[in-house]
Amino acid sequence: MYLGLKEMWHEKLRYGLLSGVLLLIALVVFMLSGLANGLSVGNRQAVDQWRAKTVYLNKNANQSLAASQLKISDQTTVSGTHAPLANLSGTLRTTTNKLKTSASAFGTSRDSFIMPKVIKGHRINGKDQLLISAGLLDKGYHLGQKVRIGTTTHSVKIVGTYQTSTYSIAPTVYTDTSTLNRLKGSPITSGKDQPINAIVAKNSQFKSSDHDNLERLSITTFVSSLPGYSAEQLTLNTMIYFLFVMALAVIGIFMFVLTLQKSALFGVLKVQGIGTRHIIGALLSQSIAMALIGIGLGLAITIGLAQIMPAGLPFVIDWNAFGIYSVALLAAAVIGALLSWRTVANIDPAVAIG
Amino acid sequence: MTNPVLKLDAITKQFGSGHTAVTALTDANFEVNAGEFVAIIGPSGSGKSTFLTIAAGLQTPTSGQVYLNGQPLTHQSERQRLAYRFNDVGFILQASNLIPFLTVREQFKLVDKLAKRPFQKEKTEKLLAELALSDVQNAYPNQLSGGERQRVAIARALYNDPSVILADEPTASLDTPRSIDVVKRLADEAHHHNKAIVMVTHDQRLISHCDVVYRIEDGHLARTETTKA
Repeated sequence: MYLGLKEMWHEKLRYGLLSGVLLLIALVVFMLSGLANGLSVGNRQAVDQWRAKTVYLNKNANQSLAASQLKISDQTTVSGTHAPLANLSGTLRTTTNKLKTSASAFGTSRDSFIMPKVIKGHRINGKDQLLISAGLLDKGYHLGQKVRIGTTTHSVKIVGTYQTSTYSIAPTVYTDTSTLNRLKGSPITSGKDQPINAIVAKNSQFKSSDHDNLERLSITTFVSSLPGYSAEQLTLNTMIYFLFVMALAVIGIFMFVLTLQKSALFGVLKVQGIGTRHIIGALLSQSIAMALIGIGLGLAITIGLAQIMPAGLPFVIDWNAFGIYSVALLAAAVIGALLSWRTVANIDPAVAIG
Repeated sequence: MTNPVLKLDAITKQFGSGHTAVTALTDANFEVNAGEFVAIIGPSGSGKSTFLTIAAGLQTPTSGQVYLNGQPLTHQSERQRLAYRFNDVGFILQASNLIPFLTVREQFKLVDKLAKRPFQKEKTEKLLAELALSDVQNAYPNQLSGGERQRVAIARALYNDPSVILADEPTASLDTPRSIDVVKRLADEAHHHNKAIVMVTHDQRLISHCDVVYRIEDGHLARTETTKA
């Protein structure tokens, strides 16, 4: 370790440059991780806030909420705590059309477990009332405002807000099932035949094997079937995994070239009884030190950038992922240094004499 | 009659086999006692380097046996021979064997780090003073003159209190006055610290400072008349 770190100190430029390359790799890893997590949150935040375990969809809907059509009365086929869910993706706009925002509207029964907890205003206690995600307040929406969703002329009144929530990268709004059906322009807006898109449940099973048109999905399956979700995550995560390979290759090649350059010195060391183990130890301490510098600065810069990022960028820091990726980068550096083991072991000390 | 510190007994070393076989050393016998400064002198290609690599345990002889303090070396494991070179042998190599990115002082610190013991500051300073190196102890090897570098190498070789010091053409890159200085110091260290020092060289001028001189030619090693009483 002494040998390795002293050499780094003496050759600051050389090792500084490689630390810089590792910094760039770490930075990209952390940025991609933040983006992947941001997109993931943007897609699924509302679903996570339901704290549900199961979603029932129409079995012909190909696991897609928007494509699924059920009726309120379908709830009788399932057990446990459950709630109806009607969904409408549309433009949230004020009656004067002054503000326009894409939003995901959900309708559920007024007292259902997925109806969000109001932090300002009041719960839905009458027809044509709407709760909006706190995030929408920043865009100019406020309590008491009359708004429309989609192309309808039917207007509803904002009566409360709840903790920021998004679904399919759009802020959510909640209302009761009947109001949502009115907004949708559905012919049936009351009673057991009202259309809904899904049944969301906690611990729940089918009551009997006779559930002809329903399909039971775990919440994990439901989330991974969200439109674009899996494709986005897979793309970004593949890029991250590829960067680990790059980190390994960069360290491995650099250490190998340096080992070749220093083989005469290593021969002299071996003559003096300083063996392969000590030399590899020096290489390891160098690559670990460079990885720690790169990862540390990469983290610091990522956190700094996160402060000044435009609000529209879906970037959310996931400390668990950052921890795992830091360890993975460190592991890549260790493996990269160990790749020179054979080369070091094969240096013949006899060449240092004569 | 003391036991020799390092003894080579009927060493033969062949490279290759069959028609292409080259014999680098033939039936070489050699011994050096504590406090003795021995020179091995011979032209290039005479087998000097082979002699050193075998004495250092870097190569195994085709036949014969190397003894250090009476213990045979030839059949030891790689790891044992590594420890032997670290603990029992000091090396002074042709070009400097100093580590370019360590200061003079740090060269000694490294030895202690590898031996897992605290830095022997006083011992370092005493050795450096003895070799007139106190002023350059914070310099890097490339900031030293050739003579200074070889003096640091002598100090480094002595630092671990080895039984024997092997010097491979220690004066190769030095002019005459500096060569004489280095050799004188080696002789002093041998007598003063009671070390066995073996110096391989092709430089005839240096042998007047040695206690025993061996000549080597075409792989044949022979002890010559001692030049000093």
